[in-house]
Amino acid sequence: MKVNSDRYERMKKTGSIHYAMEIKKNLAEITDDFPDNPENMEYFYKRFEEYTTGNLHEGKKVIASMCVHVPLELIYATGATPVRICAGAYATDQIGAEFLPAKTCPMVKSTLGAVYLDILPGNIKPELIVNPTTCDQKKKMGEIAEEIDKPFFTLEVPPTKDSEEARQYWNRVVKKFVKKLEQTTGTKLTRRRLKKAIKTVAKAQAVYRRFDHLRRKAPVIYGKDAILVTNSYFFDDIESWTEHVEKLNKELEERIEQQKTIGKANSPRILLTGSPTIFPNMKLPLLIEQLGGIVVTEEFCSTSRMIWDTVAVDEWFLYDMVPAVADRYLKPSTCPNFTPNTDRERKLLRDIKEFQVDGVIYQTFTGCQLYDMESRRIGKILEENGIQTLYIESDYNPDDFGQLTTRLEAFLDSLKNKK
Amino acid sequence: MQKKLKFKRYIDNSNVSRFRFWIQIISFFIFVYGGYFFIEIASRLPIFSCPYVQGSPGGCYLIGIQHELNTTWSSLWGFRGIAILTSLATFLVFFIFLNKAWCGFVCPLGTLQDWITKLRKFFGFSFTRYDEMSFKRLKSIKYILLVLLILIPLGIRNTFFGIPLPHGMHTPFCQICPARIILPLFTGDTSQIFIDFTDTTTIIMTSLGMMSAAIFLVGSFVKKRFFCFFCPMSALQFIFSKISLLRMTKDGDKCTRCGNCYRVCDVGIREIADDIISKNIVKDDCMLCAKCVEACPEDDCLKISFAGIPLFNASQEGFFKRYGQTDLNELNELNKQKNESK
Ligand code: SF4
Ligand code: SF4
Ligand code: SF4
Ligand code: SF4
Repeated sequence: MKVNSDRYERMKKTGSIHYAMEIKKNLAEITDDFPDNPENMEYFYKRFEEYTTGNLHEGKKVIASMCVHVPLELIYATGATPVRICAGAYATDQIGAEFLPAKTCPMVKSTLGAVYLDILPGNIKPELIVNPTTCDQKKKMGEIAEEIDKPFFTLEVPPTKDSEEARQYWNRVVKKFVKKLEQTTGTKLTRRRLKKAIKTVAKAQAVYRRFDHLRRKAPVIYGKDAILVTNSYFFDDIESWTEHVEKLNKELEERIEQQKTIGKANSPRILLTGSPTIFPNMKLPLLIEQLGGIVVTEEFCSTSRMIWDTVAVDEWFLYDMVPAVADRYLKPSTCPNFTPNTDRERKLLRDIKEFQVDGVIYQTFTGCQLYDMESRRIGKILEENGIQTLYIESDYNPDDFGQLTTRLEAFLDSLKNKK
Repeated sequence: MQKKLKFKRYIDNSNVSRFRFWIQIISFFIFVYGGYFFIEIASRLPIFSCPYVQGSPGGCYLIGIQHELNTTWSSLWGFRGIAILTSLATFLVFFIFLNKAWCGFVCPLGTLQDWITKLRKFFGFSFTRYDEMSFKRLKSIKYILLVLLILIPLGIRNTFFGIPLPHGMHTPFCQICPARIILPLFTGDTSQIFIDFTDTTTIIMTSLGMMSAAIFLVGSFVKKRFFCFFCPMSALQFIFSKISLLRMTKDGDKCTRCGNCYRVCDVGIREIADDIISKNIVKDDCMLCAKCVEACPEDDCLKISFAGIPLFNASQEGFFKRYGQTDLNELNELNKQKNESK
């Protein structure tokens, strides 16, 4: 389909309108349906309001990424700003469906639709769209890029992460990526810049980890808000993000002291995992919390998996810093594209213990083979550990609302009765 | 983050590498020049406190063991045997306290390699690492050297399979040990740089010694702790490592296998990151330098303890203190150095 044709213009117009409406509606639900939102959440709500209207990172070169495996430090160090564009909007999902088979993952469709119509977070105009070869759908989506004339770059993520061969392969891929970045931005990667980038990201991580630990201590923030905090890491200016999470942390600390907790004593504590929840597709966490559960933590590539892991450098020269950054984006990842992926099982068990989780809700997007296939193994392990799990297959279409409600209600009730 | 004692928190946030750097300097000074100040520690130490160094205040257990084994079978069961056991006991008494930290903090030859690494960093040259295969293949060399340095002295007075060994093969490892040649240089003593032309054996052995010294210098310039990987002392230590009071343990459940610890490990121990089963995580090449604990961002995942008392635990707070803080002065300093594009 040609860009600039009449049909395209029409699509763009209606797409944008639907998109803006969807965002507004979801945001309203997040803010208005709950009492006593933390004051410092205001900043994050604002960020999402500007999703459609803002002019994010104006005057800066933007590199778009579509996965947690894109090394952000390298992008910062070449003077550009990374923005993750994995999308959660149903409006663009329908556009993406024009190019992809019907049973494709809604996130892939939605992202492609957004790229095609140029409705990206904060109206950014990326110089490059980095597409990692994780799941098959993303891989194949990259091929469509040429058709729609967008600057895609394929980042070759190995299918396994444990072997030394994979690590070396990935190291070389990352070196190639550095070259591509340097070409695109016209800025050379230097020791000083990379060091600064590593430290900047580390600062954000330290603050995020603090946030995560506060959530373990007491239920003082809803999962729907926490997801917005992590989701805004996709596109926000990292320093401003860090600053505001720090402020939020202070407020949450005060709330813990004043014992100003959310929910009731018997509110089931839920861990969410599986295919990633990305704003505005917030129906699952919202429903859970409207029905009286509390999402205490999420194991998603759109949340903790994206920020938690750190870079450790032994010798602060490019020869050691670049591989150190590369390692960080491979070794600790719990993405189901890797086989084996036992680290994900271990991480889930760890989280269940540390967050005192009562039940797990496992979300699989229609068409997402990887999370679907892994759900069996994970389910078995959770069962062995006496954890109740609810599997939900869903997509971005809001139509399954009723059916979801019934199932969630039953699940939450059974957890409540056990408490 | 759970509540921790203030003091413990201070320790866990500290920079052990810097502390180690100074301990190493002090130890180096003691073990190379201590003798001049009438410091007398003990012979049979679990490090290369080389008696060929005039200022050495002690002795390396390896030379002791080689001397003592240069004896006949029959005397092994008598007076000699007792001497061998007493010196093993001395070795163990020292070893039991520091475990392999003798290598990371005290051994002068180990320290020297760390200084050569510093020199390399000064020039901004990259280092090399063995790939997994070579690592596995080469790591047995230290055990082979250990067995040889026990068997060869025994083979001089007794014959194995009728092969006669010349007397020139006494203390065979010392003859090829780089410490014998390099460490005396620090006291201005160049007398070990020579080839002994007495007979074929001495020519071969002393030439090997010269070669190993040269390889030592070049090797540790390109690879961190190059020699330690082949060091028979390290092999001997490892045999007794389990009984030591100083321990390094890992809680596999807390590990994300991020690989930070492996990345910073000078000897390149892969298991430190990948092994999530073993509790005792001191491997044969480890020198208990604690760099891995410093680099681990998960609370209490890696721990160093003495007789059950926790000394230094991995903590995320400590990690971010050490790795996350942006010290702008340091950055400007970096900028001044010309190695921008290295
Ligand atoms: S949710 Fe599944 S199919 Fe969709 S992008 Fe992620 S891994 Fe791929
Ligand atoms: S392994 Fe290294 S530090 Fe330890 S005794 Fe041998 S040379 Fe010294
Ligand atoms: S640094 Fe810590 S968490 Fe990471 S692999 Fe090593 S032991 Fe595991
Ligand atoms: S495993 Fe840890 S303590 Fe042992 S040598 Fe490596 S970094 Fe040092």
